[in-house]
Amino acid sequence: MKKNVYFTIMLLTAFLLLTAGCSQKGHQDRLALIKATNPAPLHISKQDSANAVQSIKKDVRSFPEIYDVAVIKGKRTTLIAYKVKHMQRFRMKAIEKRLNNRLEKKYPNEKFTVSSDYKIFLEVIRLQEKMKNRDISKKQAEKRMNKIIKLSEEMT
Amino acid sequence: MASKNKNVTPQQKQYQQLQKKHELKRPVLKNCLKAFLVGGIICTIGQAISYFYIYFFDFTEQTAGNPTVATMVFLSMLLTGFGVYDHLAQFGGAGSAVPVTGFGNAVISAAIEHRTEGFVLGVGGNMFKLAGSVILFGVFSAFVVALVKTLLQIWGGL
Repeated sequence: MKKNVYFTIMLLTAFLLLTAGCSQKGHQDRLALIKATNPAPLHISKQDSANAVQSIKKDVRSFPEIYDVAVIKGKRTTLIAYKVKHMQRFRMKAIEKRLNNRLEKKYPNEKFTVSSDYKIFLEVIRLQEKMKNRDISKKQAEKRMNKIIKLSEEMT
Repeated sequence: MASKNKNVTPQQKQYQQLQKKHELKRPVLKNCLKAFLVGGIICTIGQAISYFYIYFFDFTEQTAGNPTVATMVFLSMLLTGFGVYDHLAQFGGAGSAVPVTGFGNAVISAAIEHRTEGFVLGVGGNMFKLAGSVILFGVFSAFVVALVKTLLQIWGGL
């Protein structure tokens, strides 16, 4: 019986060590799921959209329920990923609705994709890091962004 | 209970009193704390597995639930097979039975119990003896909730 217990503990420890070993990339994205990273907003195509992106981020950040925002502006759409304070997560849908309404009112010509999903936030951070390090071309970045938007629409 | 007490003989009453005197009191608060602790640890492991799928695979918060549940059930099945989950259940009580891991335990423990009766009529026939009710009432309650939601959407304008 004791052997079985030890075997199980060893199995679980090996699993944990293996999974921990996979996360040795040493980037900001490693912590993105746990703490606030607050990355600078980025834009893929036009240079003149830097101010617009900053202003969008400021608007989203002005919501008291939101504590972390990542924004990427692409050719057609702007992807906004945000984290909601833990106790406010019960009102996630209402916050998203309010955010969408405010953005649509303030930027009527822009198309937005907003998501409070951790995975989308993580992927936006990963894409931003690749763009900053110039590991990815503009075309590839746009493609990746579209993939993230598709991922955010997945339901099952 | 009241009608039962009316018909008892004096001897039975005396015996009941004696029984009450020697009966051990159930440690309800202690059991609740143990269940909270064990259930909490199981859910923390589940959350960690969910983050694992979100971080390393293409699962969102919305879609990570399915592989997480599958992994938790599989782990509890393994632990039941090794004889570890029984000890955990004895200590944690409802804390180990209520999370989805309890489902895996119910399936495998019934399968182990009836393996002497053969693979088809023993294991196959009795595997879902306990878990069958979980599936039935789970599906039924999901149906009721979906029905209520649909009606609310149609008439309530939700």
